[in-house]
Amino acid sequence: MVLWTTLLVIHSLLAVALLGAITHQAVALWWPVRAPSGSFVTRYRAVPSASYVWAVIVLYVVTFVMGAWIYTHYRYTARLALEQLRFFKVVGSFELKEHVATIGLILLPAYWAAWRNPRSADEAAARRQMTLALALVVWANFLIGHVVNNARGFGS
Amino acid sequence: MMATDKAAIFAVTFTVACAALYTVCTELNLPLLTYHPVIGEIDLLWTPERSGPAMYWYGWMLSALVGAAALAFIASLAPEAWVQRAIAFASVAAAAYLVAYSLSLVVYDKATIELEILKSRWPSLIAAVAIAALAVACMPEAWHRRLWPGWAWLVPAGALTVLGYYLVPYFTR
Repeated sequence: MVLWTTLLVIHSLLAVALLGAITHQAVALWWPVRAPSGSFVTRYRAVPSASYVWAVIVLYVVTFVMGAWIYTHYRYTARLALEQLRFFKVVGSFELKEHVATIGLILLPAYWAAWRNPRSADEAAARRQMTLALALVVWANFLIGHVVNNARGFGS
Repeated sequence: MMATDKAAIFAVTFTVACAALYTVCTELNLPLLTYHPVIGEIDLLWTPERSGPAMYWYGWMLSALVGAAALAFIASLAPEAWVQRAIAFASVAAAAYLVAYSLSLVVYDKATIELEILKSRWPSLIAAVAIAALAVACMPEAWHRRLWPGWAWLVPAGALTVLGYYLVPYFTR
């Protein structure tokens, strides 16, 4: 049990790092800084978004693999308990998370392709769209995972 | 995107194809392998539960990955304009199918008489293919001269909507 709990905590920490990276990149891309300023928000928006691409890809893949590993244990422990307790919404939310995570993984090659030439003006719209799509996937998965984990609580 | 950039063509085609194939593999239950987590064993293709629940998710992903990799490889060898045309077709078809099938189900629910045909996927699929063919034929030439990865999110978004729809029973029990 200690192993699975440790893995779950590491999975959550990786998800937080991924959430930070993709949110930072998406904000910098959709709300770029026009004039420099010293405020926190402006500095948050002023990051070079291209530098996040590989961090996002690596973090996504590692977080996904870890989640897919933990999923094996969830399937024959927590899920059976949730079904017996008739927590169908929680089970359904987890099923949704499974699909959302897969779709995010599937988006990665196109996301990478859109960022192949970060200076290309022709692909600026594609970069914005792919980054936003991936950011929405990561946020959805993070929130679903957080809510689902709370159904039984840490260590229960 | 550069016509010579085969890696990018492979990547974009892979995303579009994999999203569509994953949805098909999930809905038709076509896993390349089945994992039995309690006993830690893996079987090829679909097999029923053995000593506990069976997991098909890994198998669905693997089926989609193999199929999408093959399609992406073919696309990387094909002329870029054909690939863009195919991706535009797939994107429009996915969106049209989603709208058509959703409308069918809404009409089925509201109708005062039993219209069993509306529950079938085939009319929506045929309509979606026809709409996509028409849309691609009417698209300006410039739109499908070069591969543009901006289309690529549309098919995964449609796939997610369809997959989400099939989970509705969990939330309405």
